[in-house]
Amino acid sequence: MTGPVSLEKIYAPSDDIVAREIEGEIIIVPLTAGIGNIDDELFTLNETGRAVWKLLDGKKSLRQVTEELSEAYEGAEIDQDVLGFVSELAKRRILVEVS
Amino acid sequence: MDTPVVDSLNISQFHLWKKLTRKRAPLGFTLELTARCNNDCRHCYINLPAGDSRAAADELTLEEILRIAGEAAEMGALWCLITGGEPLLRPDFSDVYLGLKRQGLVVSVFTNATLIRDEHVELFRQYPAKILEVTAYGVTEATYEAVTRRPGSFAAFRTGLDRLLVNGIPVRLKAMALRSNVHELSLIAEFCRSRTMGYYRFDPLLNLRFDRDPVRNAQIREERLSPDEIAALEQSDPERFRELRNHCDELIQSDLCHSGCDHLFHCGTGMGEFVVGYDGLFRLCGSLWAPGTTYDLRVGRLKQAWYEFAPQVRDLRSRNTAYLETCHACPIIDLCLSCPAHNYLETGEMDGETPYFCAVAHARAEMLKTATGRK
Repeated sequence: MTGPVSLEKIYAPSDDIVAREIEGEIIIVPLTAGIGNIDDELFTLNETGRAVWKLLDGKKSLRQVTEELSEAYEGAEIDQDVLGFVSELAKRRILVEVS
Repeated sequence: MDTPVVDSLNISQFHLWKKLTRKRAPLGFTLELTARCNNDCRHCYINLPAGDSRAAADELTLEEILRIAGEAAEMGALWCLITGGEPLLRPDFSDVYLGLKRQGLVVSVFTNATLIRDEHVELFRQYPAKILEVTAYGVTEATYEAVTRRPGSFAAFRTGLDRLLVNGIPVRLKAMALRSNVHELSLIAEFCRSRTMGYYRFDPLLNLRFDRDPVRNAQIREERLSPDEIAALEQSDPERFRELRNHCDELIQSDLCHSGCDHLFHCGTGMGEFVVGYDGLFRLCGSLWAPGTTYDLRVGRLKQAWYEFAPQVRDLRSRNTAYLETCHACPIIDLCLSCPAHNYLETGEMDGETPYFCAVAHARAEMLKTATGRK
């Protein structure tokens, strides 16, 4: 499924990548062609990106993800940040919509 | 809360390398998928006949390979180079390649391209390799097949290479500088550069056989260029010469850094990468076959090989006074092929001396000194 990212949708890591955890960091290794630029073999996430990624399990909607994050990052306005992040990953086929 | 961000990067810029290196984690490994090859190159250190049933029977199975690769990935390894022999001889090549990629490894392949079929093109198009490197032994049938000793191999090489290039699969081309093709080397360089957006490298330094076969070793020695030819070739290649010149101060060290120490190994072997042989033997580097320096991964686990066995090998010492006073303390050792692995292949001893290596190192040093005005 494709279309604009919204808080009601559910996302999961794509079968086109392998996500690995090395030294506490999430390293995303593309499996198939067309993910990123030709010379980029890897993707890394910053600390907040890692926190979001770990919640993208193919079961929780983005609204549930942002609610969980709001509890962890008290008072933060994160809806737009999460939507932007997920859009970027979905555009690169690192994440796919599952519902 | 910071904005969540995804960054893309080339593996060479990977920011965890330093951290992993400090911990002596394995960063990657070479997998010799088979020792067999459909060519019979005169200079090759490993090729056994394609139909060698004993060598085929000794090869790791797909399951064994994926078990070892899984252990490597668990320990932090990020890259894998598949080589041989000719890896495409394995009927399960695609399964191995994809299986390694599915472990989250960044995979490269060295091949002679003669066995590239449409299914491989599709595989590499859909699941790209980091580097797909092909060796050009010559650009004429006569020269190419004087090296490979297999009629029809030049046509197969051109067909396989064209099949990749026509379908937009990026390829790197390299050459071995040999007695049999040195007359064609400038044409080989031109051929390679015109097909790989300028990328080309050549290697004039030939290792002896892993099995120490005396007949085949004699052929390799015949293929070796003279020390002066090697130095001249390196000087004439702008990229190679620039690299040598830029690192001249590191390569020619006036202080004898290894004197007073009897450790055999002063290189980085076994510090960040390792080799898995076709038969499951763990080695610290591609050339290290000396008895007592290999570990059977069919019997033990990679963790034991890496964390317990490799440090024991690196701690080996020499008792050969002549070696310790000459090669071991030589200020141009970094321009030399001499190392415990190559010394064993040449002499049967890890601390044996090889006059050819010494002559090549001195020719390279002389060339660098003359070119840079260094005394």
